[in-house]
Amino acid sequence: MVKTEIVETWGGKLPITVSVAGAGQPLLYLHQAAGLAWDPFLQHLSERYTVYAPQFPGTTPGNPYAIHTVDHLCDLVLIYEELVRHLGLNQPVVIGQSFGGMLAAELAAHFPTLPSRLVLLAPLGLWRDDAPVANLLAASADRLPGLLFHNPEVAAAALAMPEDPEAAVTATSQMVWSLGCAGKFFWPIPDRGLRGRLHRITARTLVVWGRQDAFVPVSYADEFAAIADSKVVVIEDSGHLPQIEQFQQTSSAVDDFLVR
Amino acid sequence: MKITLFEQAAYRYLPPDFAEHHDSVCDTPYSLVTHDGMYSSMRNFLDELMFGARSGFDGIAVTEHAQSSYDLMPNPNVVAGILAYQTEQEELDVAIFPMGRSLGKTREPVRVAEEYSMLDVISGGRLVAGFPVGLSYDASLNNGIPPIDVRGRFNENLDLVLRSWQDPKPFAFNGRYSQYPQVNIWPRPLQQPPPVWLTGVGNPATMQLILKRGFGFTFFGFAGSKLTAQRIFPRFWELADEAGLEHNPYQVGFLQHIAVAETDERAEREYAEHVEYAFHTGLGAIPPQMLALPGGIDIRGVQALLRDPSDFGIYWQMRQASLRDLIDSGTVIIGSPETVADQLTDLCRQHRIGNLHALLGFGSMPRELAMRNIKLFADEVAPRLRNLWQGSGFEHHWWPERLGGTLRRNLGEKVSA
Repeated sequence: MVKTEIVETWGGKLPITVSVAGAGQPLLYLHQAAGLAWDPFLQHLSERYTVYAPQFPGTTPGNPYAIHTVDHLCDLVLIYEELVRHLGLNQPVVIGQSFGGMLAAELAAHFPTLPSRLVLLAPLGLWRDDAPVANLLAASADRLPGLLFHNPEVAAAALAMPEDPEAAVTATSQMVWSLGCAGKFFWPIPDRGLRGRLHRITARTLVVWGRQDAFVPVSYADEFAAIADSKVVVIEDSGHLPQIEQFQQTSSAVDDFLVR
Repeated sequence: MKITLFEQAAYRYLPPDFAEHHDSVCDTPYSLVTHDGMYSSMRNFLDELMFGARSGFDGIAVTEHAQSSYDLMPNPNVVAGILAYQTEQEELDVAIFPMGRSLGKTREPVRVAEEYSMLDVISGGRLVAGFPVGLSYDASLNNGIPPIDVRGRFNENLDLVLRSWQDPKPFAFNGRYSQYPQVNIWPRPLQQPPPVWLTGVGNPATMQLILKRGFGFTFFGFAGSKLTAQRIFPRFWELADEAGLEHNPYQVGFLQHIAVAETDERAEREYAEHVEYAFHTGLGAIPPQMLALPGGIDIRGVQALLRDPSDFGIYWQMRQASLRDLIDSGTVIIGSPETVADQLTDLCRQHRIGNLHALLGFGSMPRELAMRNIKLFADEVAPRLRNLWQGSGFEHHWWPERLGGTLRRNLGEKVSA
């Protein structure tokens, strides 16, 4: 049973909608750029943790212009720190996927004692000239599945839109807008100086990457390994979203890390 | 009726199979270009514009597109500067109309204000100042602006440009997108202020802004006037009604590809390959995602486009469209002077268009053919259109006073408020 809470942040100017489910220690989950989807991975996590999954500003249906409240990355990080406090979470596990991984890493770098553990699933946030991150927002519709997934069948199922035309309009427009909202903080280059702040991350960290990630190449895992107390797990036969494409391998790796 | 010559500086010598292998923007391989091909594309373009200025057009218009093969125009004000001086020197009373510098794209709004001021001074007060938001690929891929910031940046930059022209005192500007400790530009425009035109694609919010502020409204008929004009202009005039404003045709400008020859048959024969080249390798070869990067179009606009993409007219088929498709959709108006004049008269009368931007040199058109098109249009077509709104009682508030306009002094409240 997933409940919804609305948490006021930023002096009352920015309500953030948070999906909450499960029981146990708190776990903060930061979703990828296309928006929050309550998938089997989140369901799995909620079996052992109380999962708090905030919707990024602008990605909540009915409140698209919330994104215009936030101009700078440092404000965004402060907003998420406020959110954690307002939710009353004490040292939650923090898990972030892709853009959410960048956000999770920034949160941990700005507030080193905030997370008890940190899990980064193919995070954005760094740049290598020899392995440029693909430009997801500029990708054509036919290129998108290959950027995000290794297995085309998984891609087709994951990216399928509702059959009802009006529902498809709603879903597509929300996804496009959500990408634009996140893009505010990773366009044109997903590098806002995180490399210089990685040394501030003191939480035990797991970095998970799909071997065949065509959006953010797996070589970036080595860059995130610069985090002092970190471990890297590479998932075989997986693109950018290992928790969807290789659910068993990914959830096992995350479970193992969190119980130790 | 004001009639300008508009041209895009297309690279004219792309290979015949270009559209099968390449897009026309952003990652178009520069290896397709030759030294002489680039020089002559630019030289012919400039010569054709000056020929238009000498042929009796009311204005010469260009616009901004960077990193594109269909318009070699990263800064239209470079070209406008040439035209401003040369026409002044030759005592040609034509408007200089950059349509123009994209304010959603620029990171240097004060420089835009300064460039336009320079143009107005150089031309002796003949500047018409156009401000497009900027196409998605141009603002965001070519200049790195986050798509979701493009509209806000446009609004703020427009406020800043207009204030920098008019505020008699130096001022500090603390914007969301740019900050200046002191704005006090030299020179300022001779016209106080120059007429201001915004380019719209059909978004009602842009139209409302235009009406509220009393700007001119430019609509580009690239995607087929028979498909798009009947959607866009009634929308504009309906909003004018809602705002209690008159339907002054001089507030509206329309851009149309036009090809004229002695007879209909000869026009189609002579221009066919160049018309197809223009659309196959130009607008038709811009991938859809480059015009609509996520965040660049408001979520309500995305929904409207998904439900009904007709505002984009024939764009979706343009890459393979035949001459017949392009004629049938009104993307190009082609034929004898009489045919062309009749169709343009109908179009302008029906939609109350008081400014026609005639796109007469396009695609792979050789210099001589472009010159002939310009000449025939100026001599045989323009005279039949020029008096369309004479006696209508409306004044042209969006044209330089030196060229017969009656400008309004007040540009209203801030856009970004």
